[in-house]
Amino acid sequence: MKRSDVIRLAQPRPRRFLPGVFFGLLSALCAVGLLATAAYLITRAAEQPPILYLSAAMVAVRAFALGRATFRYVERLVSHDAAFATMPELRVGVYERLIPVSPDGLGRSRRGDLLTRLVADVDEQQNIPLRVVQPVVVSALTAVASVVVVWVLLPAAGVILLVGLAVAFALGTAVNAWIAGRAERELAGLRGDYQAGLADYLSQLDVLVAYGAAEGRLAELAAADRRLTRAQLSRAAGSGITSALVVLLAGAVTVLTLVAGIPQLGSGGFEGPALAVVALVPLAVFEVFGMVPLAWSAWRQASASAERIASVVPDTVPAEIPVDGPTAVRPAPTGPVVLRLRGVSARWPGATADALHDVSFEVRAGDRILVRGTSGAGKTTLAHVLVRFLEHRGSYELNGFAVSEYPVDAVRQVVGLCEQRPYLFDDDIRQNLLFARDTASDEELLAVLRRVGLEAWVEERGGLTARVGERGALVSGGQAQRIALARAILAGFPVLVLDEPTANVDPDRADALVEDLLAAAAGDERAVVLISHTPVPQRLVTATLDL
Amino acid sequence: MRPVDPRLLRYAAAARAFFVSGGLLALVQTAAVIGFSFLVTQVIVRAIAGEPLDALAPTLLLLAGVVAVRFLAGWLADVNASRGSAIVKSELRGRVLTAVTQLGPGWLTSRNATAVGVTTGPGLDALDTYFAKYLPQLVLTAIATPLIVVVIWWQDWISGLIVTLTLPLIPVFMVLIGWATQAVQTRQWEKLSRLSTAFLDVVGGLSTLTIYGRQHRQAARIRAVTDDYRSETMRVLRISFLSGFALELAASLSVALVAVSIGVRLIEGGLGLTVGLFVLLLAPEAFLPLRNVGAQFHAAADGVAASSEVFDILDAASAASTEPTAATPDAASAAPAGPLVSAASGLAVRGLGVRYGDTVVIDGLDAQLRRGAVTALAGESGSGKSSFVAAMLGFVPHSGELVLDGRSLSSGDRDWLAWSGQRAVMIPGTVSRNVTLGDEAPDETAARAALDLVGGGDIRLDTLIDSSGDGLSGGQAQRVASARAVYRARRLDCAVVVFDEPSSALDAATERDLIGSLRVLAGEDRAVLVVSHRRAVLDAADEVIRLRVAEEVGP
Repeated sequence: MKRSDVIRLAQPRPRRFLPGVFFGLLSALCAVGLLATAAYLITRAAEQPPILYLSAAMVAVRAFALGRATFRYVERLVSHDAAFATMPELRVGVYERLIPVSPDGLGRSRRGDLLTRLVADVDEQQNIPLRVVQPVVVSALTAVASVVVVWVLLPAAGVILLVGLAVAFALGTAVNAWIAGRAERELAGLRGDYQAGLADYLSQLDVLVAYGAAEGRLAELAAADRRLTRAQLSRAAGSGITSALVVLLAGAVTVLTLVAGIPQLGSGGFEGPALAVVALVPLAVFEVFGMVPLAWSAWRQASASAERIASVVPDTVPAEIPVDGPTAVRPAPTGPVVLRLRGVSARWPGATADALHDVSFEVRAGDRILVRGTSGAGKTTLAHVLVRFLEHRGSYELNGFAVSEYPVDAVRQVVGLCEQRPYLFDDDIRQNLLFARDTASDEELLAVLRRVGLEAWVEERGGLTARVGERGALVSGGQAQRIALARAILAGFPVLVLDEPTANVDPDRADALVEDLLAAAAGDERAVVLISHTPVPQRLVTATLDL
Repeated sequence: MRPVDPRLLRYAAAARAFFVSGGLLALVQTAAVIGFSFLVTQVIVRAIAGEPLDALAPTLLLLAGVVAVRFLAGWLADVNASRGSAIVKSELRGRVLTAVTQLGPGWLTSRNATAVGVTTGPGLDALDTYFAKYLPQLVLTAIATPLIVVVIWWQDWISGLIVTLTLPLIPVFMVLIGWATQAVQTRQWEKLSRLSTAFLDVVGGLSTLTIYGRQHRQAARIRAVTDDYRSETMRVLRISFLSGFALELAASLSVALVAVSIGVRLIEGGLGLTVGLFVLLLAPEAFLPLRNVGAQFHAAADGVAASSEVFDILDAASAASTEPTAATPDAASAAPAGPLVSAASGLAVRGLGVRYGDTVVIDGLDAQLRRGAVTALAGESGSGKSSFVAAMLGFVPHSGELVLDGRSLSSGDRDWLAWSGQRAVMIPGTVSRNVTLGDEAPDETAARAALDLVGGGDIRLDTLIDSSGDGLSGGQAQRVASARAVYRARRLDCAVVVFDEPSSALDAATERDLIGSLRVLAGEDRAVLVVSHRRAVLDAADEVIRLRVAEEVGP
């Protein structure tokens, strides 16, 4: 996905976008009009004309005051609604591009963080119409309108205002991009260093304190903090320079306009009230114009987000990720399944070496196969090959046919996986089970929960409607594995792969969990492939494969 | 949210200096605003009265000077604010880390370490808006608004009255509308938060959905949920934008009223143009800082919410330091235990009690860890094995006492103890750095010997490890962690060595090696405690302490 695709998806259609610009412009023009008519009213009133002459100006002043606030309120509502309206398209657009590469085309480590970031980046995109395009368009149109009015009153003043605005635009853009952009680049690295050190320190605190090494690490962190703070201090001069420059230019334009306007007084119908208007209008115009530097900051953030989205979501599916070819037409096999691997190797996208080397084994109904190996031996890689998250070399057959003859979704109807960190949706237990088989009745759900040893736990929490919290925050590692297994049993996979079910479980509960899981998963002629780095009693398995 | 959290000034002394310099700059800015309005009025009025450009040149030059001052003061105020923000954040970060270290690992495990990290890092960055945008405007409001109102009163009391009457309307309306918004938001909070996390939930669970073949159906759900989110959010925004509306309306209507009232009195001749124009230019400036405060309010509130979590940690630390608890590490630790020979000596645990709130985990436990013996600690999950070890380490508050060879130990003194935890925590760097952790003069030979003893003969001392443990397998990391305890025990001649589940990632053969090394340590006249549920380990121990799940006492 390209950055421009992301940005284009985030841009509302004109029909939705233009009303916001329209009301924004009205509000800005009212702000300028309020100061202009007030200045005119007062200077003209000093000439003591009959009050009738000024009643229109008095009405206008009040109307502009009301208009400025009202139109601004309408503008914010309309433009937010328009920005929100792009979100479904953008979210679905990104999501649909994620499907073919998920999960293994998205990078192997810290995938959770990456996706959290991705979602935040997608939501950041609504700032492009809201805080970038809209303010810039409104400011530009207001500037043009004001220059025209001032030019009609006094051409020289119009030129001064135009030049002043142009300089403000150039400075606001260039200085802002140069100073702030450089500061952000420089600080990002230092901030990352500190953040990484901090996370390490907190996760190692018990060991550091127990070994009397905390003080030394604290000193290292303090040094990283000093480097970061020193960089921030030296960058402080850049902050606020653009908005201060806008104020400077507004004042300069007023002074220059007065210098140009005073000699013209009395000639060609240019009288006192007109002088007050041309001298004071720039103040209001520049106040509106102050939105532009802010728009550039918003743009930098949003476009960096768009860049990250583009880099995460690939244009093409890497060769290591399986896609359905023209021969992938077989329906999912039914009945007993035989799964055979001969000389299978596999590697992760972007990796230069294979993570899985030359593996051969066979799985038949009722088998319970233990796969052992140290970290890095390719245990998880094997699991991902089996469920077709990763492409392989060598032969992988289902009931005698190469898996590439089945659509990947058909293979996944036969081979299921309980991941190392099962994902639990922020919903109740019922919904977390139902998506595995949405026709299941409550009785069936409770039966499967009993089978995985969660009946008492669910009852204690108030039944199937108990929530599991965001990312399963209310559930321990062992319970998450049991819920994941309950899901897999409901889905009825003939072959089930359990990837390190005890990885996030207390050691003194791990052995019991493995026994429970194997006991619950077995039966129904189901074949189980258990991947584990911890020892598993031999009586629980029918065969062992060492990687 | 309170305008200024008093804890900010208490915990970040640097903030006070920036408040003072910010206040001085605000004073200069206010003077420049008043001067600018006054001089512009002078020039226009005198020009209309017929004075030529030459006569006005000095005033115009003065005006240009004021514009320059206004630019400089505004810029410096921003620089001051962002410097203040950087220094205050640094000060708070340092204090939080000291506080967390002081509260100790026991406290940290009761929290989420990642959350504490986020609070201290990016969480504090949310203070930037508060410091750099909100506080300066608040200071400006406190200084500029009253000064300008006084000047308006002094020039024209009727305009002064109009401004004085409309100004208080702004906070009043904002508070009223804030309440209304909060009511709507509380009503819809659960719905809104569910809708806002729904997309994250689908994307985060994409691999799980793919396993179940449900990935294709989610697009329609995302669309529906996002549309719902939009309409629900708009319902809240319609009310919360009202506060901005009230603010703008009060400000602009007040200017309009001032303008019309001045206009009418000018026509009647009751007022001079000099006063009229001056007041007209000043009136919006009285409202400007207040409007900016309103505009930054929500961003600032986020920053304050983030910083209040930091202050909670600091409050907890200062509360803990005023009452003596075992969780407080004592920097000035006692001298290491001297050479001991008596085989009957060792560590006596007397009346040990650990409770978390109302839950009693260990109640009046007596135990003896003999020098020269391997003692196993067993018990089901939740029976207090980890709490027992944490109490020995002084990580959790506890009652009772630990007596080593007849000498009562003070909490925070850990030189008698070498410990290897359940989690094999790796420090980024070499294996050697990990094994010799805490030793200022590392001894490679001793490190090698320690590794060899725990069955880590195949692990090289110069292997690089990163903090996630990459570089070693799980079993290797566990042996490095065990070797760390052995190294410390020998270097400091620790009387007690504790291993917490040292063999959970080991196969049977390596486990046997490990048991052998426990025996060797005990043979060096140390008391060895091993926490384990493994049959082989329990069988090999000289003594077994069995813990039972304590009865819960009612609240």
